[in-house]
Amino acid sequence: MKVEARKTAKYLRDKQGVPEKAKEELKEYNRIKKAITGALKDEELTIAQLSEKLQMPKPEVTYYLLSLVKYGIVAIGEIDDMDEYYSYKLVK
Amino acid sequence: MKEPKIIEYDALVIGAGIAGGETALNLANTGYKVLLVEKDHSLGGKMILLSKVFPTLDCAACITTPKVSEIARHKNITVFTESEVTNISKESANNFVAQITKKPRYVHVDDCTACQLCEQACPVSVQDEYQYGLIGRKAAYIPFSIANPKAAVIDIENCTLCGACERVCPTQCIDFTMETEYYELHTKTVVLATGFTLFDPIEIPRYGYGRYKNVITSMQMEREIAPTRPYNTILRPGDGKVPDRIAYVLCAGSRDNTVGNPNCSQICCMYSIKQAQLLMGALPMADITIYYINIRSFGKGFEEFYQQAKSMGVEFVKGKIGEITEKDNGDLILRYEDINEGVVKEAEHDMAVLSVGVRSNPTIGKIFNNGALKFDPLNFVAQEDLMGSPSKTSIKGVFVAGTATGPMDIPDSILSAGSAASEAISYLTQHQEV
Ligand SMILES: Cc1cc2nc3c(=O)[nH]c(=O)nc-3n(C[C@H](O)[C@H](O)[C@H](O)COP(=O)(O)OP(=O)(O)OC[C@H]3O[C@@H](n4cnc5c(N)ncnc54)[C@H](O)[C@@H]3O)c2cc1C
Ligand code: SF4
Repeated sequence: MKVEARKTAKYLRDKQGVPEKAKEELKEYNRIKKAITGALKDEELTIAQLSEKLQMPKPEVTYYLLSLVKYGIVAIGEIDDMDEYYSYKLVK
Repeated sequence: MKEPKIIEYDALVIGAGIAGGETALNLANTGYKVLLVEKDHSLGGKMILLSKVFPTLDCAACITTPKVSEIARHKNITVFTESEVTNISKESANNFVAQITKKPRYVHVDDCTACQLCEQACPVSVQDEYQYGLIGRKAAYIPFSIANPKAAVIDIENCTLCGACERVCPTQCIDFTMETEYYELHTKTVVLATGFTLFDPIEIPRYGYGRYKNVITSMQMEREIAPTRPYNTILRPGDGKVPDRIAYVLCAGSRDNTVGNPNCSQICCMYSIKQAQLLMGALPMADITIYYINIRSFGKGFEEFYQQAKSMGVEFVKGKIGEITEKDNGDLILRYEDINEGVVKEAEHDMAVLSVGVRSNPTIGKIFNNGALKFDPLNFVAQEDLMGSPSKTSIKGVFVAGTATGPMDIPDSILSAGSAASEAISYLTQHQEV
């Protein structure tokens, strides 16, 4: 069967559906992304500050925040006076 | 299952790490047609993901990238990525029949320009296995910037099939109608180069790996210091701190009967010393401490490399780590036996790197009919004539290269590939059809 280019994802979706796990993970990522970008809207924050503001464990904040840096959504700000922790800001 | 396509090559090489790649090149340069089968999305194995290499500190990517592109462009080599050999039977001296499964990449590699527009459009984020879980990647993604082929892949298990990637792809190379392909290969010789796996430190709970995010593996540190690194600089994954006091725990999962591996992994002392030197360059103010039982600097230039690390200020402590615990601020307490003084001590570090050892890769165990392929007690491919012809296996016409036989570094893997290729060429010559 010939499927029109750019519509092949629909073909596979109709054929085998979308795995539940993939849907759940996307929901979770979107929730965390929204929380982090929301918290950075008005101010530059460190991971510790974000963790406190969002009540989210630091390792989780680190992982998602640095992924958002990779995706070009968050930028790296200044490092503190002790050269230990960076702060992070939204890419405008 | 669809009918397999029948294909024919002089030689089948399984695994496209440095050993398999080098074997394929040697065979191809001699005029033989080679099928190189790789289960992953890129050529290069573990070497392509390394930072620099001991003892020369040459950039790993600068050595690997030209090599893999030579392999990919060679007219006598056909590469199958995303592929696995599921069965091999030996019909006669020069007729091996192999069944191969090639999984769909959902991207037509030749048309992909690696523009990354699909990556930007994809809404999904999952752990990036090429960064050993330190950061995320999309479900439509380029494995890493120096991957070969450098083309997008769709991670179908995590894909929500929203179609955003194919809508933005300028060359229309994304194709979700691609299906698994099956091949029946007829070949005259086989070389196994399936490499090694890394010890999973979860098996030693007292090190805290998995529980304490600032305890990482050496492969994770290798990624942190590589040019294609996950972060802007060295950071600890627990809270993004630039670490100041980094500890190395040698022999993690090696020389340890409690985890079923009494052997030395041969590479971890040297790669840890290499990483320590690179860290001193990246973080000039940091203290690096290596906890070791013995330093095995047995190869050419290794002892000098070890002495160089000492003179740079890397601290070497002859000590066996008993336990790692975490403080509230994420710092780690390493409790160890000081072997020279015979007393138990504690030291505080920001981060601990477990120098994980080499384990066998069991995936090829079942592909030969009747269990004809023999393994050594640690499940590496057995060498029938270790002293005389180290690349010969228990099956005539089947050879082995690189770390599929046991731990070794890159130069030894390349030497071993040369040996496997020349044994295979000799076999092909002896069993020519007249
Ligand atoms: C942290 C770390 C740092 C290191 N640093 C150095 C260094 O500085 N200098 C040095 O000399 N050495 C170093 N090494 C060692 C080096 O990585 C190895 O010597 C080298 O990668 C071995 O190459 P290989 O081809 O034998 O195996 P691998 O690199 O493991 O390649 C095996 C290939 O086979 C594929 N494969 C596996 N099973 C199958 C299957 N069933 N079907 C198809 N394909 C399959 C794999 O996907 C992989 O591509 C380091 C190792 C580690 C872990
Ligand atoms: S179809 Fe899959 S890969 Fe493509 S954008 Fe949607 S989730 Fe990402």
